[in-house]
Amino acid sequence: MFHVSFRYIFGIPPLILVLLPVASSDCDIEGKEGREYQHVLMISINDLLDTMIKNRTNCPNNEPKVLKKHACDDNKEGIFLYRAAHKLKQFVKVNDSEDFNLHLLRVSQGTLQLLNCTPKVRIKLPSQGEVQPTKNLEDNKSVKEQRKQKSLCSLGILLQKIKTCWNKILRGSKEH
Amino acid sequence: MMILGTAFGMVFYLLQAVSGESGYAQNGEFEDAELDDYSFSCYSQLEVDGTQHLLTCAFDDPDVNITNLEFEICGALLNIKCLAFDKLHEMYFIKTKKFLLIGDSLIHVKLGGKNITSKKLNIVKIVKPEAPFDIRVIYREGANDFLVTFNTSHSQKKYVKELMHEVAYRQEKNENDWMHVNISSTKLTLLQRKLQPDAMYEIKVRSIPNANYFQGFWSEWSPTFHFRTPEITESSGRMDPVLLTISILSFFFVALMVILACALWKKRIKPIVWPSLPDHKKTLEQLCKKPKKNLNVSFNPESFLDCQIHKVDGIQARDEAESFLQDTSPPQLDETEKQRLRGGMQGPTWPSEHAVITPKTFRGDSPFGSLAGSISMCEALVQPSSRSPDCKEGGKNGPHMYQGLLLGSGTTNSTMPTPFPFQPGILTLNPAVRGQPGLTSLGSSQEEAYVTMSSFYQNQ
Repeated sequence: MFHVSFRYIFGIPPLILVLLPVASSDCDIEGKEGREYQHVLMISINDLLDTMIKNRTNCPNNEPKVLKKHACDDNKEGIFLYRAAHKLKQFVKVNDSEDFNLHLLRVSQGTLQLLNCTPKVRIKLPSQGEVQPTKNLEDNKSVKEQRKQKSLCSLGILLQKIKTCWNKILRGSKEH
Repeated sequence: MMILGTAFGMVFYLLQAVSGESGYAQNGEFEDAELDDYSFSCYSQLEVDGTQHLLTCAFDDPDVNITNLEFEICGALLNIKCLAFDKLHEMYFIKTKKFLLIGDSLIHVKLGGKNITSKKLNIVKIVKPEAPFDIRVIYREGANDFLVTFNTSHSQKKYVKELMHEVAYRQEKNENDWMHVNISSTKLTLLQRKLQPDAMYEIKVRSIPNANYFQGFWSEWSPTFHFRTPEITESSGRMDPVLLTISILSFFFVALMVILACALWKKRIKPIVWPSLPDHKKTLEQLCKKPKKNLNVSFNPESFLDCQIHKVDGIQARDEAESFLQDTSPPQLDETEKQRLRGGMQGPTWPSEHAVITPKTFRGDSPFGSLAGSISMCEALVQPSSRSPDCKEGGKNGPHMYQGLLLGSGTTNSTMPTPFPFQPGILTLNPAVRGQPGLTSLGSSQEEAYVTMSSFYQNQ
């Protein structure tokens, strides 16, 4: 009897402590009630999408590989939003409009403001040339325009994903 | 000595008091006084100029020497750490698009680059909306109320859209007697009965954020609008007399119709609306009633000996129209007209036999309708004045002849109706009864011997 209780006292609690980080999320999300999202972030996201609908012509149906890597999975919404918010910064200056860029920054910084992630989640930002159009002056205007369109298409998909993930978070908080 | 000591004590006391007023104090007290002097308050106005926001700060103490004082905001900014304020008279403001609108910011007061005081605030919690405008009051006579409408620039904005409005109104002569109403829309209805008649009122409105996410302060009051309430006249309080008269008349008319309907239902209305089927039993009973006096109901011919009845065997064609004509001393007929007489004297409704009857026989009251067979006059009956009869079928002169005949026969006590259309034809009389004076009337006093279908309807 004594060795059985010994096992339960000294065996199981450390096991729980070890497994706890696996089950918990790496990023805590503030504003789960949705006020910041509904009154600030959603307005900027909708403005960006409206602007892109007016400007972009044809977008491919397939999702860019860069965006396929990350998804808004259960218990990983915070991580997805963190990475997506960082990725948004790469799209700044794709469009020459100041308001467009400010909305982009608002979504990016506002999302990061509401997230409280552990240090291990903080990733390095990808290289600048990964998504932005190249600044090679020798490229034709048409090629630049194509790359700009491609970037806008990717940005549109990313914004839709962010919107969907926020809706999922708010739905989950309402159910609880 | 005592007086001297008291004097010295008073002097020291006065010195201490004077030195305190001049600001000579300990460090802590001095710092507190300075901090109090530099207390400030701020308010924000979002989308005040397109997409640009405005943040305005001012010291609470208007006597503060603002020379060389600067304001700076840090945190909750887009792509930048801090922003410096601009100065305008005694106020500091900043107009920018770069507010994040999420999270807290720090506002520093700096003197010569050195922080004097700081304050933490959230831009979205110190929002001051723009004042409403275009306030109007419309009197609705039909509804006996006043419709208050106004406009606000926030209806077109993206962020601060939901506001709470406060409408304040008062009678002009009653100062400081404001009535307040809080609404979330831009329309308000004031009932006439809650206002004084024939009085001048003034009204104004202001707004505040709805406290859902954006919070803050009341806006400035809108420009005041003045309106006058109408007088209460006698007619306005009463019903329209024409309408009243019509309604009373209508009521009496409806009541009358109801009474009449109830009174005449059984006798008049129900037989028309829901006629009853004839009751055979009742009909038979009526038929079997005792006959009236002098009513001879019998099938025995002997009981009718007093009556002069001529049996009619049939109607047959007769070639002896001339003999008839001789009896009545008519003019001689031509051959052609004889042939015509022989020919088609038959009407479509008559049998082949026909006879000519003298006008004399028609003297008296003989209703045509009482006979079993009907008699029609051949056009061959000629007036004494006429020369030749015209027996053409349905001749054009037919009606004329007939009429002439009637005239020529002398006085007829009664008009002779023509129950049938005028057809040329000759009726044959039974020779056995030829000697008889002819058709005579049955007499108006006799009742019909036969029951007709009309008795069924009469019994109803």
